[in-house]
Amino acid sequence: MKLVLAIAAALAFAALPFLSGSNYIVGVGTSALIFTVAAAALNLIYGFTGLLSFAQLGFWGIGGYATALTVVTFGGNFWTGVLAAAAINAVVALVVGYPMLRTSRHAFVISTLTFALLVSLIARDWVDLTRGPLGIPDLPPPRAFGHVFSSTHQFYGIAWAFSVAMLAFLYVLCSSRIGRTLVAIKQNEPLVRAQGISPMPYKLAAFSISAAITGAAGGVFVFHLGIVDPLILDFYYMQTFLIIVIIGGTGSFWGVVVSGVALSALPEALRFSDDFRMIIYGVILVVAMFAMPSGVAGWLRERELARLRASLR
Amino acid sequence: MTIDAVYLLQLTLNGITLGLLYALIAVGLSLIFGVMEIINFAHGELLMLGAFAMAFALPVTGLLYWPAMAAAVLCTMVAGFVVYETLLVRLKTDEFERSILITLGLSIVLIHVMQYFFTATPRIIDTQYGFDGVDIGSIRITWTRVIGAVAALVAFAGLYLILRFTQFGRAMRAIAQNREAALMVGIRPRVVARNAVVLAAGLCGLAGAAIAPIQLVTPYMGQFLIFKAFALVIIGGLGNIPGAVIAAIALGLIENWIGGFFTIAWQDASVFVIMIVVLFLRPDGLFKRGGMRVG
Repeated sequence: MKLVLAIAAALAFAALPFLSGSNYIVGVGTSALIFTVAAAALNLIYGFTGLLSFAQLGFWGIGGYATALTVVTFGGNFWTGVLAAAAINAVVALVVGYPMLRTSRHAFVISTLTFALLVSLIARDWVDLTRGPLGIPDLPPPRAFGHVFSSTHQFYGIAWAFSVAMLAFLYVLCSSRIGRTLVAIKQNEPLVRAQGISPMPYKLAAFSISAAITGAAGGVFVFHLGIVDPLILDFYYMQTFLIIVIIGGTGSFWGVVVSGVALSALPEALRFSDDFRMIIYGVILVVAMFAMPSGVAGWLRERELARLRASLR
Repeated sequence: MTIDAVYLLQLTLNGITLGLLYALIAVGLSLIFGVMEIINFAHGELLMLGAFAMAFALPVTGLLYWPAMAAAVLCTMVAGFVVYETLLVRLKTDEFERSILITLGLSIVLIHVMQYFFTATPRIIDTQYGFDGVDIGSIRITWTRVIGAVAALVAFAGLYLILRFTQFGRAMRAIAQNREAALMVGIRPRVVARNAVVLAAGLCGLAGAAIAPIQLVTPYMGQFLIFKAFALVIIGGLGNIPGAVIAAIALGLIENWIGGFFTIAWQDASVFVIMIVVLFLRPDGLFKRGGMRVG
């Protein structure tokens, strides 16, 4: 039933460029799709595995730069760029993830944050490679088989195909035995060890997969923007991903997907002032943590459980 | 490259003063972590509030340094009290991730409210000492740096005495070392946690007030400093106060040496690189968490 709904929703999203001629609306739709993928990747590592990772922001930026540089500096194309972004992020995540995951969960959070900051410093200061604060403007539109995806409407198709593929992959992963093992690690790590499962490879794999997907999403996103500069590592993106995951419900796959689409429209609706928008984001974060710590999905689940209990009495 | 001894000494002295100010921030974080097992993401914004309070108090006091600093510390202590009573008090133990997200939200709100009212334009803060300095041979250090370092040292001495010899401080250490046992002997965790947050906020306000005349004051000034302080707390071992102080002073020195001899880009990056290396070698940080020992 859920799957039917999901497919119907995916098809409805595919129809958006045909329904609206407005570049603005289709552009917001493109952002919404990409943000949802990045939030779903954060959900894999935070919601399912229970590891709050700020490194997602770093991977998002690395992905953006890797894709842009593949095209502009190394003579590749958009498609190999996105693949390179995913591959580089997967490797970087394995390398930095191993020492970070060995620490306590407190130190993990802070070290991932530090990693994200390090990436933004590199983006700003390694001018020979990244061109520093000026960034790389005028990214060429992707092309395939002689077709150029130059307009916003055409690019939407790429974003749609990308996000459907990534969300399908994440859904399969999260609902598989691996996904259940990740939830078990979150809920009771000693018990998982007692069952003869070593948590480390699972955590590392989740971190790396989530990094690869976030990186690829970042790569698609910078080509949507048409420019990559150190602002891609603005903390604003991390806050957006976090709010999507928290409002949707940590550990709920569909909750996060729905809130991703819904909340990506929110920054557009609230565009009257940047400061006001951030204040509202902050207030939403604080209020949500107190009022609905497990998100809308968690709240619905609790209500259902309460009803079941009541019916058994 | 020839190393000029005077230049090196200058860098070293600057490094120590900067390191002491880092240490003020890191110690507050460590104190809160030791007592409540949470990380206060809005700690940098308390520092920013301290710096702004200093900036607004100075014209009122006629550029007098010490009364303005006292006002700034008082102001951040009140802010810390409010933050604790409205937000942090609702956290249960073992809600580490939640504490981060709540204080992250608070930090976003504080930064942008300040930016909305006072704009992001950097302010230069003038004090009674102006930009005068003390000359030691051919080395010159501004008075504001010297006084900042001295204030930090006095604060550390005070903190040591409080934690070591007063009932107020002993209760904090007791909670950090063994929560259940502390409860059994009648220590109220709520009161102790509030005291710890207010004390940490005061230290942070002191750091903010001392940094204000040295650096530019902007709503964002706390953000970058706090990220460095997080790394320091990890390097020194979470909850280990002497560890945080040692790591902070070492970082101040390393940053200044690197900034003096290499490109400026390495200066900011060094702390994060060091942290990842330290975590690789010693996952618990350089100094093990000994339940907040002070001596």
